[in-house]
Amino acid sequence: MRVVTVGTGMAAAEFVQRLRLDGFDGEIVMCSDEDFAPYSPCVIPFYLAGEPLDTVYWKGKNFYDQYRVTARLGDPVVEVDAERNLVRTAAGRSETYDRLFYATGARSWYPRPDWLQTTGVFGFKTLTDMVAIDRYVRKQGITKAVVFGGGFIGVDAALALWHRGLEITLVHRNTRLLSQMTDEDGGQFATRKLAEKTGIKIRLKSTVEEITARNGQLASVRFSDGSTMETALLIVSIGVSPNSEPLRGDDKGVPSDPQMQAETGIYTAGDVAVTRHAVTGASGIYATYPNAMQQARTAARHLLHNDGAFSGSVNTNVLKKHIDFPIVSAGSFSGEAVTWQDGDIWRRVYLQDGKINGYIIIGDTRMSGYIYQLYLSRKRVDQTILKTLSAPQHDSYYRSMLGLGGSAMAMA
Amino acid sequence: MKRIFVDYKKCLACKACETACAIEHHPGHSLLAALGDRKTQVNVRVLGIEHEAFPLSCRHCEPAECLNACPSGAITRDPETGAVLLNPALCKACAMCAMVCPFDAISFKHTHRAPFDRDVAYKCDLCNERIKEGGTPACVEACHSGALIYAEYDATRSSRAAKSLRTYLLGAEGMPPLLELFRELRRKEFARRSGGV
Repeated sequence: MRVVTVGTGMAAAEFVQRLRLDGFDGEIVMCSDEDFAPYSPCVIPFYLAGEPLDTVYWKGKNFYDQYRVTARLGDPVVEVDAERNLVRTAAGRSETYDRLFYATGARSWYPRPDWLQTTGVFGFKTLTDMVAIDRYVRKQGITKAVVFGGGFIGVDAALALWHRGLEITLVHRNTRLLSQMTDEDGGQFATRKLAEKTGIKIRLKSTVEEITARNGQLASVRFSDGSTMETALLIVSIGVSPNSEPLRGDDKGVPSDPQMQAETGIYTAGDVAVTRHAVTGASGIYATYPNAMQQARTAARHLLHNDGAFSGSVNTNVLKKHIDFPIVSAGSFSGEAVTWQDGDIWRRVYLQDGKINGYIIIGDTRMSGYIYQLYLSRKRVDQTILKTLSAPQHDSYYRSMLGLGGSAMAMA
Repeated sequence: MKRIFVDYKKCLACKACETACAIEHHPGHSLLAALGDRKTQVNVRVLGIEHEAFPLSCRHCEPAECLNACPSGAITRDPETGAVLLNPALCKACAMCAMVCPFDAISFKHTHRAPFDRDVAYKCDLCNERIKEGGTPACVEACHSGALIYAEYDATRSSRAAKSLRTYLLGAEGMPPLLELFRELRRKEFARRSGGV
């Protein structure tokens, strides 16, 4: 059997590793538009922050040799021909398959793609982006940057370059950073604390409207309020869109069944896959590593053993990069809000029918795993949740296990 | 495979486990070196809840949520010992592991093992090097009251489950009379301080 993966990202690498560890002996071909061994997108900003490049190769730099993979790199797949069981690349090459694993991830979405032709304007999504930014910052002696977009990737970019010592201006359209991961109050708290702790200048309710270049190199940007700022580095990180066109003809992602099949013989996973949420059942793209990993394992198991099913994605995420100030969230932010705050720590849980509908934990991670388990297990927590959020020793799990939830008299 | 078991009712809250862990994981391997060092790493903590106290650390779950969540390849399982290990050279302190750990067993700190100028995640490593040489984890060796034991996981679980609930919770040999007395006194003292009996 000949297995072809479109993509060499985390889902594809996990899938291939699982196949080999489970004894698959057939031919495996992996195709990518980039030229690298599988790398971790979560890790690559640390290369920009000054850490060694080799740590990005989370399953080893010699992945293709180690797992006996024929790598077709630097040549994007542009078409999947499911009737002929083959994929075609931009360079005109084709690869036939018996089973296809389609995990192309997502790409940066640019409001003005033409800006990228100016030297000094970059996306912030791929290792190719990181290597280019690093080289540019080093060669040009860049000391300040504008980051346009304050979602997860934009904040990650701002913090990585801040850690490297650059002076950063972060421009975001919304009223708060990380607007998808937070509600209004939590997002504003996080925004304020990040600004305090880093000195990054944050411009909210603002966009980059226009850029000016000098001799092909970025010279300044103009914001939506008409003001301008001189800078030779602009990172555009305002959104991503899934690379689903070669398979689906549009960029709305790849719908999957519980075995992670897009259609018979074609599996999908990761940031391009549309899956169901494990708690709410809502279909969507849940682009985090743990989801991608479980999806890839489900696909590998189904390919080899024809059994198993994906239990659903969870939209839990955490941003804690380059600074010890974590922001954790999951679920949806509606229902009855229960909030606790002390200094740099802010915690809120949304309840519906006494169960956790969503939560935001900012400033430390100490009870985030317990809240996550309460969220997934759909336990009723309305009687205890405020005590859990405020427990100074974060001991609620152990109290519940010991039956020491109540007063001393109950045990005396 | 062997695991650390906690017979929590035997814990006297002496924190000898914390001290032994700090020394074991300190590059100086001595109490004097570990004391007052901000980079000292303690992978076990004694938690006091009302009149009870017990040591907490990583349970080396199978499957392990942290291992499945780590996007940097830093968390692995030693196939020989079953220990869930965290490699600080690959750790980016991104907290994906801590976000899903039910037991709050992963913390962040700029430890002596942190290779870059920032914090890393740290957790119990089951004293993997010691146990591979046939030894026991440092915390277990330091525990004088029998609250921590290092024993075969499946055998211990099933032998305890086959006996009474009391045996399951307290360990095979039950409670020594002096420990019963100690617990009684501690319970009364706690009740007195909290305005009870």
